[in-house]
Amino acid sequence: MAVLNWKHHALIQSLLSRGPLKEKEFHSIFTGITGQNPGTHQEKFNDYLLKINRELSFVQLDLRACRDQYDGQVYYGVVNNVSDEQSKLGTRYSVPQIAFFKAIIEAIAQDVTAQGTISNIDALNIKLENQVLNSLGSQSQDGSLNVPAAFRNFTLSQKEKTLDQLVQDKWLCFTEDGNVGVGVRSILDLRSWFRNAEVPSCEVCNEAGLKAKLCPNEGCTVRIHQYCLKRRVCQRGVIVCPSCDTQWQYQPPKAEPIELEDEASGPTQSQPPSRSTQSQPPLRSRRKRQRLSQNDDAETAGCSSQAASQADSDMRRVTRSSARLR
Amino acid sequence: MANSGEDFSQFEISKEEKDKLVAEVIRYILFKTHQNSGCAIKREELSQLVTKNYRHRSLPAFVINEAKDKLSTIFGYELRELQRSRPSSTNHARLSQQSGADAKSYVIISQLPAEVYRKYVEDVNTSHLTGFTFVVISIVHLAGGKIAEENLWHHLKRMGLHATDENHPVLGNVKQVVETLVQQRYLQKDKVIGPEGNTLFYELAERALDGPVCERIKQYISQIVKKDIATMDT
Repeated sequence: MAVLNWKHHALIQSLLSRGPLKEKEFHSIFTGITGQNPGTHQEKFNDYLLKINRELSFVQLDLRACRDQYDGQVYYGVVNNVSDEQSKLGTRYSVPQIAFFKAIIEAIAQDVTAQGTISNIDALNIKLENQVLNSLGSQSQDGSLNVPAAFRNFTLSQKEKTLDQLVQDKWLCFTEDGNVGVGVRSILDLRSWFRNAEVPSCEVCNEAGLKAKLCPNEGCTVRIHQYCLKRRVCQRGVIVCPSCDTQWQYQPPKAEPIELEDEASGPTQSQPPSRSTQSQPPLRSRRKRQRLSQNDDAETAGCSSQAASQADSDMRRVTRSSARLR
Repeated sequence: MANSGEDFSQFEISKEEKDKLVAEVIRYILFKTHQNSGCAIKREELSQLVTKNYRHRSLPAFVINEAKDKLSTIFGYELRELQRSRPSSTNHARLSQQSGADAKSYVIISQLPAEVYRKYVEDVNTSHLTGFTFVVISIVHLAGGKIAEENLWHHLKRMGLHATDENHPVLGNVKQVVETLVQQRYLQKDKVIGPEGNTLFYELAERALDGPVCERIKQYISQIVKKDIATMDT
């Protein structure tokens, strides 16, 4: 008895065939296929995804969403959950290319400043021999490393080509400032890798905080994504570190409606006098630790507006989003 | 299904083991298809996944059948079985001792209606390859289903595609793309031993001869040809 019909199949096949899709695109596909907009028919959309995932779990695949860490946009993709012999086939990249990719991801993940990028030059200067070192651990057989010839002979132009290919396939991305960042596919697929590599997670969404804001308190390890900051803004309009209570500088995102001009007047936010005792902001209790739901603009605009009178509408908006997750 | 209980005891594996095998086969098919861009997967490769750990002789067939089922219900993909309809050439007779079963290979084909596929699923980044495939198949079709290699290139040259071109701005290594069409089973190669030496012929293969595909190609060709005739008349 078939649980899924052609509509589900079309959604799955579109992701398999075209790779990770932006939320807008995926929604428009959904609308085209079912005639219903996920924005207004959230239940139906979630129901579809739930049904699809129940079936996909048979083959250890998952249809999930993630956020691009550079622009905060939501993407959907079909992701492999288990690394087994079959999945190792699923790549068109050669062994040195994969080692190159791994080295870049590691460099980005280990960045303590959480910039989430490395420069183009640094990427091209990566020495693949170090990858071999890492995988061998600290053992050195009679002092010489068994570096495969393919690794040693991986030329600069091969690195450039590989880099371009990886960006095209969305494993990596080129950021606005010309650096190399983590692509959407990596964010979808490598979640468990990031956890194993102990990349600190964002306090708000619990995903790897590759590109995130750090707590100004140097002793504190908290980091939060730029797009997650909005959720931590309390009634008084400030962000307070959940672990050390230090106040954070908060820059509202550029795409803000005009009535919030007083905030956007300059890059530095005016610092209201800090109070040692902070009452729990109402938004904190609504922090979503589950899979990301879509964050529509109305909610973000609501959260960053500072007036206390907005608090009610904040709560209303936030509860709407919690309804969405069910 | 009443049979499934007996099937398991027949194979002496549990449902979980069976499900695991089916999942492995499906995953193999999906990942391999991605890796080789849609080239056919040999039945032998799939059977091996089963026989690696289990000895029962008809288990591979059972597992592959169930994988076929699941691919259809979960993904909407048909696991199309392609059988080499004609032996590739006379001088390979010695080598074709493979049993009929092993010569089978598989591709996955979307079961979605063409409109839906075109609108939502098709990857526009590969449409240049689809277009090229259509052109080559049409040429071979118009040549009667079989064409000598140099004739094919003669026609492709008129579109600026050369056998020696390794850096075509859209297709890259053009010869390689034609080779891929052979691996994807749109074409098959035949070497014909003639009085003047060996000639390589390209013939339409299983995927190009598939019913619906064939029909659509004929339709498109007749559309194009009718247009030409009309302009010639004026």
